Amino acid sequence: MSEEILNISNLHISVEGTEIIKGLSLTINKGEVHAIMGRNGAGKSTLANALMGHPAYSIESGEISYNGRPLEELEVFERARAGMFLSFQYPSVLPGVKVGTFLKKSIEAVRGEPVKQKEFRTQLKAAMQLLDMDRSFLSRYVNDGFSGGEKKRLEILQLVLLQPTLAMLDETDSGLDIDALRIVSKGINQVAPQAGCLVITHYQRLLDHVKADYVHVMIDGKIVKSGGPELAHKLEEQGYDWLEADA
Amino acid sequence: MPMPPRAKHLWRYTPWPRIQPQDGVPVADKIVFTVNGNNNLETGAPRVVLESDIARVFLSEIGGSSHTLNIEGDVGLVHIQARASGHVAAGHLHINCKGNSTVILHLTGEADWSGLYISGAVADNCKLAYGFINELSNNCKLLHCEDWSVARDSTMEIAALSVGGFRCKSDVRTTLTETGASLKQAVTVHGLGARHIDNHIEINHKVANCNSKLVINSACAGSSRSIATGLLKVAEGANGTDAGQVFRNLLLSDKARADSIPELEVLADEVKAAHGAASAPVNPEQIHYLMSRGLSPQQAEAMIVEGFLIDAFSCLTDTDLKDVLATRMTIHLECELKR
Repeated sequence: MSEEILNISNLHISVEGTEIIKGLSLTINKGEVHAIMGRNGAGKSTLANALMGHPAYSIESGEISYNGRPLEELEVFERARAGMFLSFQYPSVLPGVKVGTFLKKSIEAVRGEPVKQKEFRTQLKAAMQLLDMDRSFLSRYVNDGFSGGEKKRLEILQLVLLQPTLAMLDETDSGLDIDALRIVSKGINQVAPQAGCLVITHYQRLLDHVKADYVHVMIDGKIVKSGGPELAHKLEEQGYDWLEADA
Repeated sequence: MPMPPRAKHLWRYTPWPRIQPQDGVPVADKIVFTVNGNNNLETGAPRVVLESDIARVFLSEIGGSSHTLNIEGDVGLVHIQARASGHVAAGHLHINCKGNSTVILHLTGEADWSGLYISGAVADNCKLAYGFINELSNNCKLLHCEDWSVARDSTMEIAALSVGGFRCKSDVRTTLTETGASLKQAVTVHGLGARHIDNHIEINHKVANCNSKLVINSACAGSSRSIATGLLKVAEGANGTDAGQVFRNLLLSDKARADSIPELEVLADEVKAAHGAASAPVNPEQIHYLMSRGLSPQQAEAMIVEGFLIDAFSCLTDTDLKDVLATRMTIHLECELKR
């Protein structure tokens, strides 16, 4: 039997009094990759941010359980320590905070114990090799002066190092060139077998590298259609109009 | 000497009676200076007292220790410990730089009141990176003045880390005396509890084609208060001056307060002189980002504060200077987080 990681039932989310998610249900099991596609403003990022506990998003009704536990019981940092990870579409800039320091403190916070320097260096070296990243990255300040592609690589570096149980990737492919997309996908694919993955994307091209088990289409805060990878191809060819008519 | 009126810019925020040790001029114990663990400083220091400034006159009258550090050739990293003990302690150190060096002055101690005067000169074609760390005990008062001159084609970098003392007034003045002189200055202040930290930074461009950059980052928690007044003077004829001043404040509580007052006094025509000031609370998006990586709200705020303060040193180029001050900052903040 599949191991359930995330279960969302009839979820309604609002932002500043406006309902964005309007009755969404979704189950993600371990080892499954779920891709969510949809037009701008459909509510994809709202879903990811609300799951991570961003204070701007209010869960009005519905239920979310993570590893069998009500998600609402957990603060943002407790969600991270419990294995949830969000690769942000627009990660924050942290002036004066070196990437190396930030990564080590994050790992220690998630694991709940100090990490030996040697062990950290070994894991970091392997992850950076996988993502084709230069060591000079470590002495830069987090996202300070980074290009769009560098920011996304740093998010995936964190994903690989933190080894989450639930990985949510919010438009990680946006702003990436073809080579960078391939490299970032390697990182996602390394984590995916041990985790449930929720991949938010606009483009089929990411799904050429990351194999999605399920593709869902969101329109106006709801999942209106689910299918296999072939659905992403159809969307690429035909757009969303044919689904909007149904919705 | 008459008491300076509060209407004067320099004494508006920390009036003289609030920073002097007591009425009259007390007898001061000596601040003990040790260099790289040894007492090998030359005794005595040249006194150049600015008669119009009560703080400098007071520090001149009060006595205490007096030493000179001579730097010749490439000296590398010099650590000076300055220890202030007793009721009232005072000291004067003069640094004469005729080479290249990084000097770190680390002030510690429990004296109720400390008076520290630092003076120095950087000779032609020389480079001095100078760091001042104030880690006095939490109930100490500090009056601290510095006067520097930087000569032809010389470079000076000044970094200050203020994390100690209860009430501190620092007045640091640098004069770029000859063409090609360059100054980079970074000041960081961490206000905790009811600390009151007043920094006055004066940069004086006397001649043409000099440049200076000043960055002051203050993070204030509790009911602490940080005051930063900057005065950039560009003399008549000092064309080709390139100067910038940035003041940033991070307010960590509703009761914390920070005042930034950059001032320009430009008498030359062809000058680049920029200044800016900004105050804000911690960005909640930064807190959320760090919490999404497992850091508690307290850990997240501490990391943001540390980064904010260390970022002031980004304008410097001397690696030793930056590393030493950043390390002290990290240790200080980790200790505070565990309290």
